[in-house]
Amino acid sequence: MAVCIAVIAKENYPLYIRSVPTQNELKFHYTVHTSLDVVEEKISAVGKSLGDQRELYLGLLYPTEDYKVYGYVTNSKVKFVIVVDSSNTSLRDNEIRSMFRKLHNSFTDVMCNPFHNPGDQIQSKAFDGIVSGMMVQTG
Amino acid sequence: MAQCVQSVQEFVQDSFVPMVAVLCSEEAERVTRKNNLNFAELLRPFCRLTSEGHMRDPNNQVQVVKNLRIFVNNVVTSPNRPPTALSHAQSKILNEVVLSCQPQEGVVNNVVTAGDYDLNFSATTPWFETYRENFLQSMPASDHEFLNHYLACLLVVSSTEAVPVEQFLKLSQEQHRIQHSGEYTNPKWFIPNTLKYYVLLHDMSEGDEQRADAVYEDMKQRYGSQGCYLLKMNTRSFSAEGDEQIPDPWSQYLQRNILHTQVRTAASSTLSGSLESHPLQLDITSSSGSLHTLGAVKTELKKGARDPESLAGGAGSHGACLTLNDHDHIRQFIQEFTFRGLLPHIEKNIRQLNDQVKTLILKIWEMPPKHFCSCPEYPKTMTSSWYPPEAPELQIRKMADLCFLVQHYELAYSCYHTAKKDFLSDQAMLYAAGALEMAAVSAFLQAGAPRPYPAHYMDTAIQTYRDVCKNMVLAERCVLLNAEILKSQGKYSDAATLLIKMTSEDSDLRSALLLEQAAHCFINMRNPMVRKFAFHMILAGHRFSKAGQRRHALRCYCQAMQVYKERSWSLAEDHINFTIGRQSFTLRQPEKAVIAFRQILTNDSRQTATQQSAFLREYLYVYKLKRILSPDCLPQLPLPCIHCSATRVYFGHERRLAEGEKQAATHVSLDQEYDQDSADMWCHLEEQLVAAANRGIVPVNFQPTQCCLNSQTDNQRHPLAVVEEPIIVEVTFRNPLKVSLALSNLSLLWRFTADDAPPSKEKMTNELAITNEEILALGVGVTVYSGFFVLCCHINIHSTFDVMVVHGKQDLMIQGPRLNQTKEDKMTVRHGHDQRLNFIVTSPMPLMEIFFLQFPTALLCGEIRKAYVEFCNVSSVALCGLRVVSTHPDFFSFGSQATTPLTPVSPTSAENNSAYKTLATPPQSGSAAFEMLVSAEDFSQPSGVIDIPIDGSTLQPGESTQLPLWLRGPDQEGVHEINFLFYYESTGKGNKISHRVLRHTVFICASRSLSVQASACRSCVPPHHSLGDKGGGGTLIFIDVENINMSEAGMREFHIVQVSSSSQHWRLHKCINPAKDKDCKLTSRERAKLCFRATRCKPQKDAIKKYTFTDLNLGNERIISSSTPCGDFFFRGCQTSESQRLDAPSSRTSCSSKTWSRTFFWCVSLQAYVVEDNKQLILEGQLHVALQTIGKEASSLTPREMVLLKFKSQLPPPVILPSAELSQLVKTSLHYPETYTHPFVQDSLCVVPVTLTLSNCSLAQVDVIIDLRHKGTSPETLEVHSSFTWVGQTQYKLQLKPQEVLCLTLQACFLQAGVYNLNTPRVFAKPAEQGAMCETSQQTASPSLIFINNA
Repeated sequence: MAVCIAVIAKENYPLYIRSVPTQNELKFHYTVHTSLDVVEEKISAVGKSLGDQRELYLGLLYPTEDYKVYGYVTNSKVKFVIVVDSSNTSLRDNEIRSMFRKLHNSFTDVMCNPFHNPGDQIQSKAFDGIVSGMMVQTG
Repeated sequence: MAQCVQSVQEFVQDSFVPMVAVLCSEEAERVTRKNNLNFAELLRPFCRLTSEGHMRDPNNQVQVVKNLRIFVNNVVTSPNRPPTALSHAQSKILNEVVLSCQPQEGVVNNVVTAGDYDLNFSATTPWFETYRENFLQSMPASDHEFLNHYLACLLVVSSTEAVPVEQFLKLSQEQHRIQHSGEYTNPKWFIPNTLKYYVLLHDMSEGDEQRADAVYEDMKQRYGSQGCYLLKMNTRSFSAEGDEQIPDPWSQYLQRNILHTQVRTAASSTLSGSLESHPLQLDITSSSGSLHTLGAVKTELKKGARDPESLAGGAGSHGACLTLNDHDHIRQFIQEFTFRGLLPHIEKNIRQLNDQVKTLILKIWEMPPKHFCSCPEYPKTMTSSWYPPEAPELQIRKMADLCFLVQHYELAYSCYHTAKKDFLSDQAMLYAAGALEMAAVSAFLQAGAPRPYPAHYMDTAIQTYRDVCKNMVLAERCVLLNAEILKSQGKYSDAATLLIKMTSEDSDLRSALLLEQAAHCFINMRNPMVRKFAFHMILAGHRFSKAGQRRHALRCYCQAMQVYKERSWSLAEDHINFTIGRQSFTLRQPEKAVIAFRQILTNDSRQTATQQSAFLREYLYVYKLKRILSPDCLPQLPLPCIHCSATRVYFGHERRLAEGEKQAATHVSLDQEYDQDSADMWCHLEEQLVAAANRGIVPVNFQPTQCCLNSQTDNQRHPLAVVEEPIIVEVTFRNPLKVSLALSNLSLLWRFTADDAPPSKEKMTNELAITNEEILALGVGVTVYSGFFVLCCHINIHSTFDVMVVHGKQDLMIQGPRLNQTKEDKMTVRHGHDQRLNFIVTSPMPLMEIFFLQFPTALLCGEIRKAYVEFCNVSSVALCGLRVVSTHPDFFSFGSQATTPLTPVSPTSAENNSAYKTLATPPQSGSAAFEMLVSAEDFSQPSGVIDIPIDGSTLQPGESTQLPLWLRGPDQEGVHEINFLFYYESTGKGNKISHRVLRHTVFICASRSLSVQASACRSCVPPHHSLGDKGGGGTLIFIDVENINMSEAGMREFHIVQVSSSSQHWRLHKCINPAKDKDCKLTSRERAKLCFRATRCKPQKDAIKKYTFTDLNLGNERIISSSTPCGDFFFRGCQTSESQRLDAPSSRTSCSSKTWSRTFFWCVSLQAYVVEDNKQLILEGQLHVALQTIGKEASSLTPREMVLLKFKSQLPPPVILPSAELSQLVKTSLHYPETYTHPFVQDSLCVVPVTLTLSNCSLAQVDVIIDLRHKGTSPETLEVHSSFTWVGQTQYKLQLKPQEVLCLTLQACFLQAGVYNLNTPRVFAKPAEQGAMCETSQQTASPSLIFINNA
């Protein structure tokens, strides 16, 4: 179960951040923002060697005391970040991966909406639904 | 980690220096006290040796000792064991040290560019270095290492003592007692036989120098020349001070110490109270309270801040009795002591230990390792062992430490390494960690670097210190060393991890400093991690604030802010801003606080309403406080947002809409939405007016008057405002917050720009409005004086929240529309000027108000109503040139003076308040028509612009005049928007404003009344048959009138009162209605047909086109159709229909004008009786029908057809004239006896003379061919016709002059009695000048029967 799901634009500003309402939202903002450094580091490390065949899923970005932060970068450099509770050991890498894929698909749908202005905050019920599903789902 | 002043090597070396103890006699203490210093302090600035020393290692190799520093300290005895953590006093000292070390103002910060971030921060962190230095110095001595154990002891005795040698003895015994009695665990001593160095202190100012020398000689004898020293000092007498400035090397060493001990007790304890919460939590709930308490704390802080200054003044007198020579003496003394005393001593001891260790190692090999039970002092560390001081492992360690201190790192490393192995095998973890740490450090410091830096040694050491031994102080030291070393090797990431790991809850200050260093590590990486830097800065800031280091906290937050700023991480940004605001406020920087809080409110917030209100409250509080501190300038308020471009400016008074019965002209009001179409329409109307006023030419510089400026109007020019007329500025506010804002006392600030000294002046009302996340528009008016000036852009807003009221301003800066003309405009974002608020004030102008009386809102189609219009000049300037133009010029009329009848009006018309002028007529004259000739000029106006006929054509100030106004309901039903534009100008010339206009818009609801259809047809009656009429042929006019009014309720019936005509060539002759009912009544859905005869007018002599008006009244009152309301509307109707018809085919117009000469029949004055509220109302009206061609039906409801004609205009003009028209060219009639009796018995042939009369109806010559021969198409008709025959000439070819009547005598021959149709002659006619092809048969349709009787 994810506790926070974020979509970050290419220019590193948030397009979408949702976190579990019971917890301190600000903390997740900081966590997600800080994780961007790692994302950039990973992209720059991988980008050179593999070129186009880059794996979108970046894996565990960094663990904190309470959370694990996972990252995923689309080809257009839009970043997805999922924060998972550390205590939750049931989630495997594969599950995280599929969560990201689902998120990416939904994000693509949002972008395909002709009324969506790329670069705006994501305001889509469908996307909200997917995200809420991921935040409840396995919990 | 930030950059340091020292290099790594220097730093590590200085962290571990030989320690020297000092024991002073009281007298010696007194001598040094003269300089406000004790002896250890006196030596401290000179403890670094500038020259190189030499010593030999156990292998007799010469070792160079460079840049050695020793640490001299007074012996402080204490019986306690060394604590594993810093004492409270020590941590307080560290806190003070950090607090006193702040970044200097104006120091150039370096800019780091990482990605798209430009960060500006200081690369050095002197507070951290100071902290580290102090921390390392305050390290407690422990048993497992010897580095900070005293190696030597200075015994200091003054030469003024009675027997100095005895004193030396006493001190020596004292030292021995301290070291060996076992009473004290502190201080610790390196080696059992500590080096004692005897120093004789001689005060030059008071003592006997020779005696001192003598004592020194004695000492040399006793202790050897290398074990004693005579230090002469205090050359300057106390009184001589002041005239010579001696550098004070002590201040930098001592000031802090003094600070530690004395200042800051109360302040720091109060400060650290309020901000203890999670670093990432907005501590809102306690916010307001905390601010208030902090206000109280501030005063305390201020007190504290003053103290160190006074102390610094006292500290300035260090070394007052010392000359520069004395400084040199001290330096020489230290050098002498180190090189002659200390280094040989160390060298000797290393040798001894080396030998000892060698033998001991052999012994260890033989003996089983000794285990001692764990000491009761270390109850928690079960695994650690405790060694007796003489244990061989400790000897190795001791030797290693000695080697390390004299910079023999290679030997030190091997020793540490050996010791480490031993300790590890003994599970003596603390000892092992110490050895590991030092092994790593000495490996790092080895010059040639034969082995790589063993970082894992350090990691193990740190882990052991922290987790196993729970000794945070040692762990911290280890971390500091390791981090610095890693930094020097560029391993920033490792260093950062190390530093972050070391943060813990037990010490906020340490955590803060280490986090800050970690942040610096992140930014110094090869790929700078900006966000991590920022995040750790925030964490550091939080810990700083918890540790009471507000200034540092603020600095950290500010640095982090650079990363989060304006990147739409609003939640984080708000948090940082809030913290910055709070910290700035408590640090008495209200400006900064206001800016920070303002930022929170300016941004689009994602915060909840409660949090926003908390932010707002905090902001207002801070803002208010700032205002109290600096009341002069009025600061900008961030709230509410002003939607500048939506600002509207309205010139003039707020219009009264109605005043009693009077209805004011609508003009322009702020309630109206701007509409481009209507603006164009008004502009077009104004253009017409201006053209009319300027003899038909629109001036080049014509600009339409704009009464209300908004974002869509053209605001390029400075608007003109008239002096002493108000200007209303409508400002749109938006409240972006989720909480409501209360505003009060709003006012506009404005500024003259007329003179050099523009006095800012303020004027306006106070209004109160509450906004809640919505747009609020509110008008503020300013009365203008004179001169040219700009309405400047300040608004005073009092925001009220709870009881807090703050006062501020907001600028009104209007940006013009984006330019998009040139290529540069398109490629960049450029904005034009918007001069909406920059007025030019002009001299007084007249101001007119217009009121309408009895102005209807609903009319029947064609209804005539009389209303009054009142023009008031409300200004102090006379006005003239009153004109009006309308979108519906046929809707109204001001009447015309020329046609005012002289005859008195009938009493009934006055009774009914009739719009018409009527004359009573005798009833019998109903059938006869009244005629009147009127020239068109009396009525028509050159264009749509109508001059308003007021007396004297000027309106004096304050004067008002009332004029009647006739209105006629539009011909089409529905709601009509009718716009009037009134024009007037000042009587004076040379104004900036040439004219003024006033708009009026009315909505008239027109409902259907009657439909009138008229048609004209040629009368069959030949002209000479008509009674006494000599003119041209008669025409019959048929008028169909139908009541098409739909409303059953009110309208009862229509009466057709009169039918009038107006034409240049025709006139109504008489009514030939078969039913002789006079007043034609029509109730709902009824229809009536009226029949009239019209005749041609007498030809007019003068060239002026005059219209003949003829009235045929059906009732008993005659309406003078040629007089004002009727005639006016007739000509209006003409004009509009003509203007509409301009596009009609020209050939047709010319032709018809030739033949029929434009006939206008207009008719039907009607009266409608309406029952309303049980009261009978009589409405009057008139309907117009334009008849143009014979036989064609015209209707009063035809404007649609006119539109259709426009499209036909594209067709080519017809070549062949329509036959129907030609057939009417020539009229034929047969004259014969109706019955003819003929005796067929006598004469079988009966010849009857028949006269054929041909009359040319047209004004053209006509060729006529008459063919009498029967020309049947079928045998039957032939048979019928063969019964009689025309005899004589059967074919004629004639030419008829215009309107000529010609009689032809024909003869018909009948063979037998019977009834015959004589109408067989075929007449062909054509206009003479037209081609032969146009001949058309003139068939008379009706049979002409003749009865032939047989006699």
